[in-house]
Amino acid sequence: MDNIIEVKGLAKVFGNQTAIEGLNFHVKKGEIFGFLGPSGSGKTTTIKILTGQVTPTNGTAVVFNQSVSQLKKPEFRSRFGVLTDNSGLYERLSIHDNLKLYCELYNIPYSKIDEVLDTVNLKKEKNKRVSTLSKGMAQRVTLARALIHEPELLFLDEPTSALDPTNSLHIHEGLRALNAKGTTIFLTTHDMQEAELLCDRVAFLNKGSIQLLDTPDKLKKRYSDSTITVELMTEEKVVLPAGTEGADRLFEYMNTNQVVTIHSNEPTLGEIFVQVTGRKLA
Amino acid sequence: MMISLRRMNAILQKDFKDFSRNLAVSTVLIMPIGLGAFYGRGGVNSIEAHYMLINLAFVMIATFVQCCLIAEEKEKNTLRGLMLSPASTTEILGGKSLLTFILTMITVSITAYLADYRPANIGVIVLAFILSSFFYIAVGTLLGLFSKSVMEASVIVMPVVAVFSMGTFLPTFVDQYPFLKMGMYLPNIQLIELAVKVEAGGGFGDVLIELLIILAWTIILCMLTAAIYRKRMVD
Ligand SMILES: Nc1ncnc2c1ncn2[C@@H]1O[C@H](COP(=O)(O)OP(=O)(O)O)[C@@H](O)[C@H]1O
Ligand SMILES: [Mg+2]
Repeated sequence: MDNIIEVKGLAKVFGNQTAIEGLNFHVKKGEIFGFLGPSGSGKTTTIKILTGQVTPTNGTAVVFNQSVSQLKKPEFRSRFGVLTDNSGLYERLSIHDNLKLYCELYNIPYSKIDEVLDTVNLKKEKNKRVSTLSKGMAQRVTLARALIHEPELLFLDEPTSALDPTNSLHIHEGLRALNAKGTTIFLTTHDMQEAELLCDRVAFLNKGSIQLLDTPDKLKKRYSDSTITVELMTEEKVVLPAGTEGADRLFEYMNTNQVVTIHSNEPTLGEIFVQVTGRKLA
Repeated sequence: MMISLRRMNAILQKDFKDFSRNLAVSTVLIMPIGLGAFYGRGGVNSIEAHYMLINLAFVMIATFVQCCLIAEEKEKNTLRGLMLSPASTTEILGGKSLLTFILTMITVSITAYLADYRPANIGVIVLAFILSSFFYIAVGTLLGLFSKSVMEASVIVMPVVAVFSMGTFLPTFVDQYPFLKMGMYLPNIQLIELAVKVEAGGGFGDVLIELLIILAWTIILCMLTAAIYRKRMVD
């Protein structure tokens, strides 16, 4: 079986607040799946359902070929890792001691600690107490904790939301390496650039339901308006429409040696999101 | 079911380090010990007085401290991490109770010793103390699971502390208010009855009923706590 996650008609209502409704999607083994949406769209709720922390009101969610209600069993819990807004650390303990506990819980050697701290760029700080860390550093520790046992399936809920660009890039590298070794990653983010860089497929979530789902590449092609932008020697930029009119003008510019650069105008994922949902990502 | 001692030990190690740096909670240990020393010097020597102190030590350490430790794990979202790990309910709750158990036994022993309590049959009393500490720890765990924060926990736990420490005087009022008779079956009162019998020369066989009643309370509380824990795992 190729799907590590299968979701059908999934819904969750908290009191009178609908968090998600009628979600349908699957995640293939080995891919990095992006779950994108503004805050309040139901990303965290979906991860919590998929990791057995929240019971769905309706629909089915299957992970590792098991209904999520089975995920309470210890043998399944060692197969996934999770980072969400409710991943806490022991603040009076050092980074190293926090991770040491997890080595014991997951039955893995302490040698993993240095390895994983390298991935999140915190090796030098390993003896610092968590209470002294910045928000971004603490977020990197929780990330280290989520992937220390190299799970088959990793859920990351906005893993880089508190990070500076350099650290984000470093973490992206680490995640790609982990993915290359076989870990499937379910990633939520409201950072469209991050999604574009990392994800094999993305789903756009808005107000609890999926609006679009495809590879970033196909989405861009589908929403492309087929215009091109030409930069001229005069530093002027002109947008040319598709068809003979655009082709004739391009020929003219090229024929008179005026062209410096040519760009096809695919939209960014962020622009597509706004176009589809009428909402900006917060 | 296999229980991993390695996991429980890891939780104990972690708790010990964390607790030793948590002055707000760790200083609670001083209170019963200080009172014990005070009693000892004052020459108070009735069994009721001793057990008022011993029950207070139980409830302050086993219940209050445990309740705060569990509530802090909830407040800081670290309990979630344990729950999502391959550790079982028994390993997590057992591991989380080990430190409190050790602290309780040490504190109660020191307190009783300083107060000049020298039981006639130490074996029976130690067994009764072990059973009682399991009961008080289960109560602390249960209350901790119901609290969202350490602040909330320290409020919720107060009436329980009052009932079990002041409850020592319950037998004095039972003749006046017969409805209090039910309270005679509480484990703290049973512990006193047991101690009185032991002082009168009673052995293991003479206090079996009291031990069984305390054991029954402990089993019920442990089962209730495990059930609530499993329920609280999912929203
Ligand atoms: N435990 C809860 N109780 C009540 N409402 C909740 C709870 N968790 C989430 N919600 C609501 O569900 C909606 C989706 O939340 P969430 O999944 O956290 O979105 P996201 O992670 O995309 O920001 C929000 O409107 C939120 O207020
Ligand atoms: Mg969220």
